[in-house]
Amino acid sequence: MSEATTEQEKTAREAKPPKRRKRRVGGGWHIFVFIAPAVLIYTIFSIYPLVESLRLSLFDGLDDGSAVWNGLGNYVTLLFNPTWATQFWNALWNNLILFFIHMVVQNPIGLLLAALLSLAPRFGSTYRTLIFIPTLLSVVVVGFIWELILSPLWGVSETLLGAVGLAWLYQPWLGLESTALTTVSLISVWQYVGIPMMLIYAALLSIPDELIDAARVDGLNGWWIFWKVKLPLILPTLGIVAILTYIGNFTASFDLIYSIQGALGAPNYSTDVMGTLLFRTFFGQQLQIGDIHMGATIASMMFFIILIGVTIYLVLVQRRLQRYEM
Amino acid sequence: MTNIASTGRARAGRARGLSTKAAVHTVLLGYTIIAIFPVILVILNSFKNRRGIFSDPLGLPRGETFSMEGYATVLTQGDFATYFANSIIVTVSALFLILLLGAMAAHALAEYRFRLNTLLGIYLILGIMVPIRLGTVAILELMVDLNLVNTLLALILVYTAQGLPVAVFILTEFMRTLSRDIKDCARVDGLSEYRIFFEVVVPLIRPVLATVAVFSMIPIWNDLWFPLILASGDATKTVTLGVQQFIGQYTVNWSAVLASLSIAILPVLGLYALFSRQLIAGITSGAVKG
Amino acid sequence: MSDLVLKDVRKAYGEARVIHGIDLDIRDGEFVVFVGPSGCGKSTLLRMIAGLETVTGGDVIIGGEKVNDIVPADRGIAMVFQSYALYPHKDVYGNMAFALRHAGEDKAVIDERVKKAAEILGLEALLKRKPKELSGGQRQRVAIGRAIVRDPEIFLFDEPLSNLDAALRVQMRVEILRLHQRLKTTMIYVTHDQVEAMTLADRIVVLRDGRVEQVGTPLELYHHPCNRFVAGFIGSPKMNFLAIDPIDDGRRVRYRQSAPIDLHVKTRSGAVPTEIGIRPEHVRLVEPGKGAFDGTVFVVERLGGETFLHVDFGHEEPFVVKADGGVQLRSGDVVGLVFPAETLHLFDAEGVAFEQTERHALLG
Repeated sequence: MSEATTEQEKTAREAKPPKRRKRRVGGGWHIFVFIAPAVLIYTIFSIYPLVESLRLSLFDGLDDGSAVWNGLGNYVTLLFNPTWATQFWNALWNNLILFFIHMVVQNPIGLLLAALLSLAPRFGSTYRTLIFIPTLLSVVVVGFIWELILSPLWGVSETLLGAVGLAWLYQPWLGLESTALTTVSLISVWQYVGIPMMLIYAALLSIPDELIDAARVDGLNGWWIFWKVKLPLILPTLGIVAILTYIGNFTASFDLIYSIQGALGAPNYSTDVMGTLLFRTFFGQQLQIGDIHMGATIASMMFFIILIGVTIYLVLVQRRLQRYEM
Repeated sequence: MTNIASTGRARAGRARGLSTKAAVHTVLLGYTIIAIFPVILVILNSFKNRRGIFSDPLGLPRGETFSMEGYATVLTQGDFATYFANSIIVTVSALFLILLLGAMAAHALAEYRFRLNTLLGIYLILGIMVPIRLGTVAILELMVDLNLVNTLLALILVYTAQGLPVAVFILTEFMRTLSRDIKDCARVDGLSEYRIFFEVVVPLIRPVLATVAVFSMIPIWNDLWFPLILASGDATKTVTLGVQQFIGQYTVNWSAVLASLSIAILPVLGLYALFSRQLIAGITSGAVKG
Repeated sequence: MSDLVLKDVRKAYGEARVIHGIDLDIRDGEFVVFVGPSGCGKSTLLRMIAGLETVTGGDVIIGGEKVNDIVPADRGIAMVFQSYALYPHKDVYGNMAFALRHAGEDKAVIDERVKKAAEILGLEALLKRKPKELSGGQRQRVAIGRAIVRDPEIFLFDEPLSNLDAALRVQMRVEILRLHQRLKTTMIYVTHDQVEAMTLADRIVVLRDGRVEQVGTPLELYHHPCNRFVAGFIGSPKMNFLAIDPIDDGRRVRYRQSAPIDLHVKTRSGAVPTEIGIRPEHVRLVEPGKGAFDGTVFVVERLGGETFLHVDFGHEEPFVVKADGGVQLRSGDVVGLVFPAETLHLFDAEGVAFEQTERHALLG
């Protein structure tokens, strides 16, 4: 910095032209402008339909197209009318099996892959990128890919099993009532394992190196570090993975089952889930006529079932699992 | 953010024994094959004739088995050019709206103190927990009332509403970490609140916008439900629905089925090749850790 | 150039009141430092002057004009932020020129002013660099340059040196002082670091919990802190405090069993001295038995030029004594402490200081 203060500088400043009019602070309109469009679209096309569905579920349609108040009648029908109840409980049960299979197959595999990737092996990012590919594909595409591969017509699965001497194991798994649902679940696991893998991987990475170094100095080896240090720290992420699995289970399963097994959850409703039941009820299928109000009732039931899951998660899991500052 | 391998844990990795290393690679490689084998199988066989598909499903397309007949059928029988155009219009428009409106709302939530701030924040994020599909019955009624059935606009609006919660959530979290000083500095420099958003905040959040874009894009491009219900007309079909219906019609024509699947897969793989860094960086940066 | 007047300025967020009515008069060309512990409201006050926070009560007057509702850009101020707040997508030149360009200033004028500011700060060679290619010190210079370019009537600094390392901080402190000498513009500077406050300020405003504790020149605050808080806040290491017992209605005091001592202070009705304070640099060390107390040295911190001794003499808070660098004492040694009369400060139970009529001899 040069020391000299010149007279020039001072006069230059004093000779400044008269100031223009000073602007005053505006109100909060900009906040409204920023937030209103998002709130508007979201309200009209997401929240309103949800609320409207809840409302519709409380009415019953008449033949002339008008609706009458029916209270909880539709719910009673859904839960206790033999025809409806069988379908409803079957679909819900199938959804729960789907959820269970994802929890015991998809998430452990995701955890294993994430744990291995977090060791930073060579080509780690290549593995990661490739394993994530199925997640990006449309469920429709995935469904058909596996339908073809598992098809007895093509025989790819049989050939592959034969190569390891297991050809006798092969059955048309998608076509058998006993195995269809499990097979569909495993296809979905194959597609979505990338998501838990990524989330857990991210959580593992966020554990500071110092902590791992400290554990090593304390004499723990890799295996024990994982069990005693890393796993407790990523428990909140595992909680999130569980709740995402639960919610996704009710939405994503429709696309896959509708593509592979059709809206009836073939064979013989063995893969029928809430999504297909809703679709079928709403639009009608074969002999059944579409029913807006029963459709809304099923959607609302799904809403409540999801709500129960989320509440359990928030109250039990989220509160118990401490989040550690890292 | 992306170059994780060069941290201290890489050193630890090298220190491990060779046998552990081999086991790690066996598992990862094994699963990688499981993940991509079916995809490769479909793409490979789409370039074969019917005989090639059935006699040697695992082989590469060669002289006598190589054929583009499947693609020929797809291109002549299905209107895939239209389907692609539809998918692109819907995805790009919805993405634009999600990013613009989501970033604006996130900016309002992160930057300004106002009475309904917390409440609106929770309200906008609710949609993460509640799938928009549950409102389908009413959405269809609404679209009928608005005369939007079988228009792309219906899909764009629904996907925008569907994508906003996650976008707002991620962007708000990120914007809260932005330095307040820089926005104040722009204020002292005389920028209006709107110009602060567009000229100062948007350039700062560009990387996160890319991540949110890739994220929101996948479910939109791949969705079957809403195209099936809201826009199943021939003129408004998206690729996903187009493929689904095409395959339904041509179940016995294997080369056509395989070709249509490949047509649906390849653009996604192409985009992924371009943006996988952003996507994975976005996921692993903790933006979605909750 | 302009003066600044705060009249009963208040700030509340809903029910939470953070500034409780501040009156202040800052003269044209003055360098004023707001100092206080974190959460005292110093930054909020600065941001209210800048117009970045609304004023809930009272007036902010710049150059005779009330500016409560004027946007920041039109208040004639420029601000330097703690995190530098450089636009990462613009180069150094673009950052410095930004406000003027936005105001639609003439290109030639902008160029001249940016070049001038760059020269003052030694940034000429860096004009084409992006912020991420600069060191912390360089970034802070650009942030200051950006303020200079705007030719403001008042400079506002919000903890501008907190993100720099210690050596750089000392260097930038000097540069800011010289900048003030050169520009002679009013500057208001916020810091939590009392050393920065002491070295930079013409006048210091000590804030606590949204209230002004004392306003004065650095030496006024050092020698005549008006209360225990200011006494403890200004000076490093901190002033030592010692509880005493007032006797004879507060005309005399004593420490534990020592002989009563006469005081020469302006008495205030209802207030009696209950505590004395003495700065570490004012305590004298003597042979054991020759001072007011004997104590045991238990920590010796050697800084080279000086030494800080922590001495335990049975008081709940050990005393810190500043001795010269070469002092031959070790942990465990016993020393005598002398508190020279002319350096003592007296406080009542509320912590309010007594004005001294005559320096009194106390405790040896």
